[in-house]
Amino acid sequence: MKTACRLALATIVVLLAGGCATSGPKFTEFSAVLGPIPADAGRIYVYRLVIAGAAVQPEVRLNGEVVGRAVPMGFFYVDKKPGDYELEATTEVTRKLSFTLEQGQQRYVRLNISMGFFVGHVYPELVDDDVAQKEIQNCRYLRR
Amino acid sequence: MKVSKPLFTSISLLALLMSSCAFDLINVKQVPAQLEVPLSPGNSFELQEEVTVHLPAGYSRLLKKGTKWDFVGTTAHGDVYKTKDQVLTVEASNIHEAYIVVSSGKLVGFYLPVERSFSPTVPLSLPMQEIENDRP
Repeated sequence: MKTACRLALATIVVLLAGGCATSGPKFTEFSAVLGPIPADAGRIYVYRLVIAGAAVQPEVRLNGEVVGRAVPMGFFYVDKKPGDYELEATTEVTRKLSFTLEQGQQRYVRLNISMGFFVGHVYPELVDDDVAQKEIQNCRYLRR
Repeated sequence: MKVSKPLFTSISLLALLMSSCAFDLINVKQVPAQLEVPLSPGNSFELQEEVTVHLPAGYSRLLKKGTKWDFVGTTAHGDVYKTKDQVLTVEASNIHEAYIVVSSGKLVGFYLPVERSFSPTVPLSLPMQEIENDRP
């Protein structure tokens, strides 16, 4: 019985650690070598802080196109033409965020987790630049 | 097939819970709105005090003191202002970026630029101070 408990615990730890497998460089390191925003575009950063519900890592879609995944303590970015955008993440429900992007503008979207019936819900939220720039510091870049 | 009473109760309870878990039921109340954009830049104002706006879905939003709001156009519901000093969204099941709509010095709702719609709120006085437009 004791061995079974240990095995179960070890499995949970491995699963949780696997769920947080963000091996890319930290934002602080990555941003130092990141190129400028293309002249005709804006930049959208997407990040997730919450580790709770680590196994829940849905795809993130921007105007229907998969642009990344909601991985705890991870971030990614996309450069897009100015315009209207809808970002969504789907678990048992789809949560959407609509926002505009201007030329040269940087937008930060945080992926939050809330309770669901069977699995957690991932809902995207637009965040003030100054808040996001602090929060994203320790997130790691997610390669696509 | 005979179903035991506890099992029947459990299944009924689960079915009831699941039927009431319609997660996407709440939408931001909105109506289509056409934004008339001015040919020349309009006025701007600074918010003199912070203002808390309670949204119909139960969320609230804080308009920060000292934020500068720039006129971007007019709708049938009032003048539309946006700011670069803070993020503003309205929220129910989904979240939408929003600009404020002001009529006779009162916040009367929000303009949703992506949806091109107006979302009303309970009118709320805004402590506004008009400012010169040469401020960056």
